[in-house]
Amino acid sequence: MSDRKLPRLLQTPAVLLLLVWMLIPLGMTLYFSFIRYVLNSLRRPEWTTPSFSNWRGFGNYEFVLKSKDFLFAIQNSLFIVCSILFLTVILGVLIAVLINKSFPGQGIVRVLLISPFFVMPAVNAVLWINMILDPVLGLQGIAVGGINDMITGLKDAPLVGWFFSMWPELHPISFRATQTSAYAVIIMVTWQWTPFAVLIFMTSLQSEDQQQKEAAVLDGANTWSQFRFLTLPHLARPIAIVVMIQAIFHLSLYAEIEIVSRGNGNKNLPYLIGEFANNNIGAASATGIFAVILANIVAIFLLRMIGKTLME
Amino acid sequence: MAIVAKTSRFGKYGRPTLAWVVGLFFFFPIFWMVLTSFKTDADAVKPEHLIFFKPTFDNYINMTENYDYWRFAKNSVITAVMATVFTLFVGIPCAYAMAFNPSRATKDVLMWMLSTKMLPAAAVLYPMTFITKSAGLFDTHFLIILVLSLINMPIVIWMLFTYFKEIPKDIIEAGQMDGANTWGEIKEILIPLAWGGIASTALLCFIFCWNEAYWTVRLTTTDAATLSKLIEGNRAPEGLFFGRLSAVSAAAVGPIVVLGWFCQKQLVQGLTFGAVK
Repeated sequence: MSDRKLPRLLQTPAVLLLLVWMLIPLGMTLYFSFIRYVLNSLRRPEWTTPSFSNWRGFGNYEFVLKSKDFLFAIQNSLFIVCSILFLTVILGVLIAVLINKSFPGQGIVRVLLISPFFVMPAVNAVLWINMILDPVLGLQGIAVGGINDMITGLKDAPLVGWFFSMWPELHPISFRATQTSAYAVIIMVTWQWTPFAVLIFMTSLQSEDQQQKEAAVLDGANTWSQFRFLTLPHLARPIAIVVMIQAIFHLSLYAEIEIVSRGNGNKNLPYLIGEFANNNIGAASATGIFAVILANIVAIFLLRMIGKTLME
Repeated sequence: MAIVAKTSRFGKYGRPTLAWVVGLFFFFPIFWMVLTSFKTDADAVKPEHLIFFKPTFDNYINMTENYDYWRFAKNSVITAVMATVFTLFVGIPCAYAMAFNPSRATKDVLMWMLSTKMLPAAAVLYPMTFITKSAGLFDTHFLIILVLSLINMPIVIWMLFTYFKEIPKDIIEAGQMDGANTWGEIKEILIPLAWGGIASTALLCFIFCWNEAYWTVRLTTTDAATLSKLIEGNRAPEGLFFGRLSAVSAAAVGPIVVLGWFCQKQLVQGLTFGAVK
């Protein structure tokens, strides 16, 4: 066919756009990571314009590796990502198995369940940290206050008063504090992404071999062994995909961390880049390259898995 | 039917109850936000008005005065709609070519497109700010539309590709026999046939554009600022303004959550790149 070439050419705009979008900023980040480049410097004004004469070699990388926050940011990134993955996969499998069989109102429950996924990340963070987790004004504070009031009231009660007077007063947890801000982020992101896991697992469960299951039931397999030996192996692949897609998204969490505590006690690599970028662009760029490497390690596995099914 | 007879009491009552509890639990924060948006700022933090209160629309009315909601909303609509249109405009021909005239490189090109999505945004933030400021594009609708298109293009092309692949090649080839040129094929045959898939791809793309918060916050100040910028700008622990904050938040996410209900199924395909069916 003579016009085979034109259809191929149709790919060009998309490919070119994405190529420019990827290569130019990445190339500049790479370049900045090898030079001394700061936004403000009274002592060395020549460092405020990017130039090859400010070449620093691997100096920025060394600086970043030695900075006190770098190791913490990596550890904290992994802690947040792994906790979210663990919680969303467990909850996702349980909920998907729970609502997979039809029951009255299944459709409505599905709609209720998926809703958090469409909430804007910024709204998610503002909503949770203020209205739900706030130790005084949020639901947490109100609930703890209510329980304390109830116990205080019961202390004067006849007969059982002595029992309640031995109870401690409950203290609400402040989720903006250094030690707890990571947990707040984990809670809110788990709330948002569990629905995603449920949706994917449910889609996968619908293609589960029902005849195999019926045969297992006739052979006397109980519910647990059906789940363990049929459902779970069937879900292995969707689980792997959910893990990797989420890992890519959560490695670049930003809005939630910013809103919860402005990185106080809870930094990840993107946040650290943002902090460096307030002045030291060279260090921010070197950190960026580390983040790219980390994301690529995850991405390679994901791409391999998807690639296998691509042309089927 | 031994299987039906074995349905336990849990299956009959426990499962539905538990499922409803889980569903309501996950929906609760959204419900709470909407409920709080009808309380006055004073009532919103009083335990005695937790559930019983005099509903008011003041927050929604004040929203425009205190937060200039409509300007941000307008920007969100403009950028998300335009970005979706532009992405489809570039994405449909590309996915068409990949699905009906694949070459040996097609698979690699698709994989590479996906890999651009995995580049951490923070890593290229400074260069992007640098480029856009020196090109005079910072805080313009054009820039935000372009950026939103580019970050969503890989997913859109993937989704369209998986839809187009389902269309039998014969139909397209029959069109070629009738003398339709490439544009005619796309316009007359492909788009009508894949209409459902294109529509749900567009919907999903629109949702992602609307919710984008990294670039829209960092590449705008006022002129092109979207709703995510509005929310992030008002994140301070304003305990006394829960009512107002809820109203703004509810107005920012409400339309999208409802739209999202209609494209759950496509979401799976779109986000797993067709790997989970």
